[in-house]
Amino acid sequence: MTGVCAQSFIMNKENKENKENKENKEFDITVPGNKIALGHLHPLTQTKKRVEEIFQTMGFSIVEGPDMETEWYNFDALNIPKNHPARDLWDTFYLKNGLLLRTHTSPVQIRYLEKNNLPLRIIVPGNVFRREATNASHEFQLFQIEGLMVDKKISVANLKAIVGEFFRRFFEKDVKFRLKPDYFPFTEPSFDIGISCLVCRERGCPACKGSGWMEVAGAGMVHPNVFKNSGLIPKDWQGWAFGFGLERLTMLKYKINDIRLFRSGDLKFLQQF
Amino acid sequence: MVFSYGWLQSFFQKKLPKPEKLAEVLTMSFAEIEKVKKEREDFVLDIDVKPSRASDCLSHLGIVREIAAITKLQYKEPLSKFKAVKELKSKNFVSVDIRCQQACPRYTIKIIVDVKVCPSPKWLKHRLKVCGLKPINNIVDIANYAMLETGQPLHAFDFDKIKGRKIIVRKAKKGEEITTFDEKSYCLDQDILIIADAKKPIAIAGIKGGKETGIDKNTKTVVLESANFNQGIIRKGSRKLNLKTDAATRFEQGIDPNLTEFAINRACYLIQKISKGKIAHGLADIYPKKALPKRIRLDLDYVERLLGIKIPEREIKSILEKLRFKLKTQNLKLLDVEIPTFRLDISLQEDLIEEIARIYGYEKIKPVFPIVSLIPFKRNLEIFWEGRAKDILEQARFSEVYNYSFISKGDAKNFGGKINKLIEIENPSSIEHRYLRPSLIPNLLKNIQKNQKLYFETFKTHRVLKSETFKTLRILKSKEIKIFELGKIFQAPKLEKRTLSGVMTGDAFYQVKGVIDLLLSKLGISNIQYCEHRTVERGLKSCWWQPPKCAEIKINGEQIGFLGEVSFRVLSDLKIELKTIVFDIDFEKLVRFCSEEKTYQPISRYPSAIRDIAVLVPKRIKVNEVLNKINAVKGQRGLIKDVDLFDVYEGRNIPNNKKNFAFHIIYQAENKTLSSKEIDDAHQKIVKALEERKGWEVRK
Repeated sequence: MTGVCAQSFIMNKENKENKENKENKEFDITVPGNKIALGHLHPLTQTKKRVEEIFQTMGFSIVEGPDMETEWYNFDALNIPKNHPARDLWDTFYLKNGLLLRTHTSPVQIRYLEKNNLPLRIIVPGNVFRREATNASHEFQLFQIEGLMVDKKISVANLKAIVGEFFRRFFEKDVKFRLKPDYFPFTEPSFDIGISCLVCRERGCPACKGSGWMEVAGAGMVHPNVFKNSGLIPKDWQGWAFGFGLERLTMLKYKINDIRLFRSGDLKFLQQF
Repeated sequence: MVFSYGWLQSFFQKKLPKPEKLAEVLTMSFAEIEKVKKEREDFVLDIDVKPSRASDCLSHLGIVREIAAITKLQYKEPLSKFKAVKELKSKNFVSVDIRCQQACPRYTIKIIVDVKVCPSPKWLKHRLKVCGLKPINNIVDIANYAMLETGQPLHAFDFDKIKGRKIIVRKAKKGEEITTFDEKSYCLDQDILIIADAKKPIAIAGIKGGKETGIDKNTKTVVLESANFNQGIIRKGSRKLNLKTDAATRFEQGIDPNLTEFAINRACYLIQKISKGKIAHGLADIYPKKALPKRIRLDLDYVERLLGIKIPEREIKSILEKLRFKLKTQNLKLLDVEIPTFRLDISLQEDLIEEIARIYGYEKIKPVFPIVSLIPFKRNLEIFWEGRAKDILEQARFSEVYNYSFISKGDAKNFGGKINKLIEIENPSSIEHRYLRPSLIPNLLKNIQKNQKLYFETFKTHRVLKSETFKTLRILKSKEIKIFELGKIFQAPKLEKRTLSGVMTGDAFYQVKGVIDLLLSKLGISNIQYCEHRTVERGLKSCWWQPPKCAEIKINGEQIGFLGEVSFRVLSDLKIELKTIVFDIDFEKLVRFCSEEKTYQPISRYPSAIRDIAVLVPKRIKVNEVLNKINAVKGQRGLIKDVDLFDVYEGRNIPNNKKNFAFHIIYQAENKTLSSKEIDDAHQKIVKALEERKGWEVRK
């Protein structure tokens, strides 16, 4: 084999003098190029990296927490008491070892606030689990990214600035966004963050169900009880938090129409990225 | 919950915005309107009322208050004044006995006599239907109507069917039963709160009424109940009986106990108007601990600080008053706010600030970048090395997959894992996802199974074109399936661990080994060893592997993972038709060895020379032993730059029990050009060293 290869690579005298002209004439440049096999990073890895970069440039550290959580961190500490109807907002997988699969990345807010000095800026990427039926837009395992900023005077106006900056950089477009009232027990006030539909530019289309807007994230000002449950004095600190599903953002960015593709392991999907 | 646009409009003298417009206004300042649907002359608004506002806004009146605050339109409270008959006293008809005070903070009763039970008027039926309720008769319909309007569930009993003129609120006894008005029977126990007469249960409190005491066309005297029940008890009962009703939904979210009186009066007003009944004087009202309004001191500076915008004080006051908060100015910067008791959700300043901001309009808050100290972000090494490792594997032409963190019992068994080491889900969504994955490999192999047809399709198409064998081979090679995942695995009792695993199809043990070498060296790790995987010690796990093609990966003697060929048994269970090599690395251990340090190795200016050596050894000898022998010589002389195995051969022309290794040996010195004598001398030393071993023979 080595010999064969060597012959075709090395120019001998004959090549140089006699064949050159003839070969050039017969050479078919329309033969398709050789297919080069490549590796592929998962689309969620790629968008996660982008999200992390954007927030790191704004001084946010990346922090992680466990997938298996206690009821305290996942619910009680986040101002969601037992037997409270608010718990119904999260369909939860419980484990036989007494823990549960976290339904959001918010428990890391408490874990981090407990152990670190303020002020702080963090984002928290990680798996979350919801015991829900799956379809093209619902999954029971999702990748969420949580953001938390706490300082002496952090306001809703600041949240708007950071979130707006993030969307503009992530979508590389002048994306409009808006806050609507929402309810999360661990933030007050609470918002639903929508962005202008990337498909129709607010004109209304099937992708945004005609509204011109797409919901992408939940956010709000950190609830005083969250500070209290983290061992802090609420009146000393202000902060905001947000959380979004990375799948949703990735779907919008690459126009993916079925959320189940991400964990399908289908190479025909994965090798497009 | 669904609301009738026409009904909402009836509270206002001025015209409301058009349904779509109203929906948008409410969505931006109150709660999401999921749908607006035309229903004959009316429109239905489907409003996603959040749990925080369920106590006052699962009612048309609640929504009306919101609309009034947002649009600044005036509305009228519904009429609730009626004429009572002085001679009849509600209290004299039945006695009420509350056996558990905590479960029933308030119980209110009104008696209506001489009612005429018949179908409701059209307008009433229409409103119920629009809101998804079925009209039954005028009395029941009015009770439901009052609930949809005020948010207070009401219940009507037929007085003549109540035994012993007694109403008792108590926990059910085990074994008691009730048949509800929809003909369904329920077995009760001490967790369920009931309304009973002298003999037996007549209603499941706050959830559903019983059949026997229900209103029918012969009913003459009505006992109208408007009560307040503890939310936790109703929630528990409703879950236990698996019975969700409009009443239960409202009670389990909590309702203002002061509402019972207004709601019962409103219902009486309607009964008098519609069914001409005579209403007894006064209320039978058991309400030992009256709910009083809370007071919150609001700091206007804090409002500005939290929102990042200055809202004029006048505006703040006007918004709060429109929402029925009562205000008292304390001083320039402080407001004392009295919270109406129906706003169970308001208990902190922050709650009031949300009220102010959402009505004022979130869109009016302009983005402002925070002014904070320049604290640089902390580098997260775990994430950094995770990114590096993924990039390296991508460069090695692996594709990354994300699998679910779950496996089925079958998967667990297939891989010989001990079930008691697994973490089981208490409430799995399907049997496919019953355990947390103890390894990334089962799901990765399933990925292979799913994708292997891709491989075979290509194989088939290209086999047809026989003339293009070379091309076929080439394409086949590019269709090898190479995938990896970096994710968490879980082990009983409570361990979770980040792991990196990969799978490659084909007879590719050495290729995968090469990938591991590449990965580790790019992560700055040297001193890698591969040791025989002691399958016997591993017990059950051994049946995963196809011995002897499996090895432990060690760094500085510490095991960090393994690689090996998956056993034919496992593959055939999974219907995988390709040989498959797997690697599995404890990523948390690995990260401890990773390093970004690198030192440049000077490139020798003197030429190198290559001499080949072929050595015949007994079959059981491993290449490592030969290499060690050569390297031992290198240590003495310092002239050998590299030793490169290029062929392993056994078979024809070689004795049966032997095999042949062939190496390139590269000679180079740092400080001079080596003479051919020097090279020959060194080479001879190697030959001699190798031949010292019995049964080893250097072929000349």
